[in-house]
Amino acid sequence: MDQLELLKKDWQKQDSTFPKLSKSELSTLIHKKSSSIVKWLFIISLLEFVIPHLIILFTGDNDSTKIYEDLGLTSFKVISFTVYYIVILFFIYLFYKNYKSISANSNPKILMQNIIQTREVVKYYIWFNLTMFFVISIVILYKVFNTPLFIDKIPEDVNMTIVWLVCLVVIALLVVMFWLFYRLIYGVLLNKLKENYKELINNNIDC
Amino acid sequence: MSKDLEQKFVSDLEQNQNIVHKICKLYTNNQHAHNDLFQEISIQLWRAYPKFRGDSKFSTWMYRVALNTAITLYRKSKRTIKTQGFESVSFKIKATDYDDTEEEQLKLLYKAVQHLSDIEKALVFLYLEDKNYKEIASTLGVTEVNARVKMNRVKNKLRKILNP
Repeated sequence: MDQLELLKKDWQKQDSTFPKLSKSELSTLIHKKSSSIVKWLFIISLLEFVIPHLIILFTGDNDSTKIYEDLGLTSFKVISFTVYYIVILFFIYLFYKNYKSISANSNPKILMQNIIQTREVVKYYIWFNLTMFFVISIVILYKVFNTPLFIDKIPEDVNMTIVWLVCLVVIALLVVMFWLFYRLIYGVLLNKLKENYKELINNNIDC
Repeated sequence: MSKDLEQKFVSDLEQNQNIVHKICKLYTNNQHAHNDLFQEISIQLWRAYPKFRGDSKFSTWMYRVALNTAITLYRKSKRTIKTQGFESVSFKIKATDYDDTEEEQLKLLYKAVQHLSDIEKALVFLYLEDKNYKEIASTLGVTEVNARVKMNRVKNKLRKILNP
């Protein structure tokens, strides 16, 4: 078949038309692991946001609104929740953006930058969550300690400084517990990213 | 996997990357899909590399793994991506004013090859790479006779697409 011979001749001429990838670009290509790790970071952050909301949705709204109302914290609730939602959604958006750019790039330098960026974002995300928890707990405690009901019930000779100290220790312990929990979920993934980053650096030096 | 192994693999891949590019050209129809397939084939080659014993040439082994990856992915994507039907191609070719210049013929040929099935593309690819039937047979894991029969069918099919 003459036509196929024609095609064959043309086919063998095309070698120079393809982009030539360097060794470092090729080794980045086979380290696609990073993109799947970042995908998991995105999925976990999303689940962490969605699951508590689903639980609230299915168990019915608890009495939190009334409690906030009783404590005179309605506007505090609105403000803190608004800030919380905006920031968390922004974080989820960042996770998504990192995932998209990591999976689309084969340039080792950009991939390394992305890995660093992702690690930073995760750190900020964890710190934001812990700080929010701490601040909200302190505000609620402060309000509770100042309700007439609480003041009536508490014996006169109790030293409020000690009560505060005990509560702060308990909150601090809870924060540490959350922190450990985060380290467990995100730490594993972050370490994998770090290993991949190290490999990329080594390859770049060699190539 | 050790670092030496990776370096050896990357340098082998670098030297033979055009094979992967050509397979991508045959199995995809845009740059984005081309790059995706290129990466997927590279990863599969790297995963399979520890099992490569060096009995055959790296390029021969590469043809097999890369084509397998392309065929598998092509099948997967076919379930989701709507591909152009055979009739519409022959219609298009008929509608084009038939020009006898080489360039025009080549265009039609490439278009026709794009519409072959995954296995047929693999056959044509190896044929275009100037492989003999023995090599084609061993790469695709069929007998030599079978490869000849299949290739003849592909030639006939192409002839039919080109001269409806």
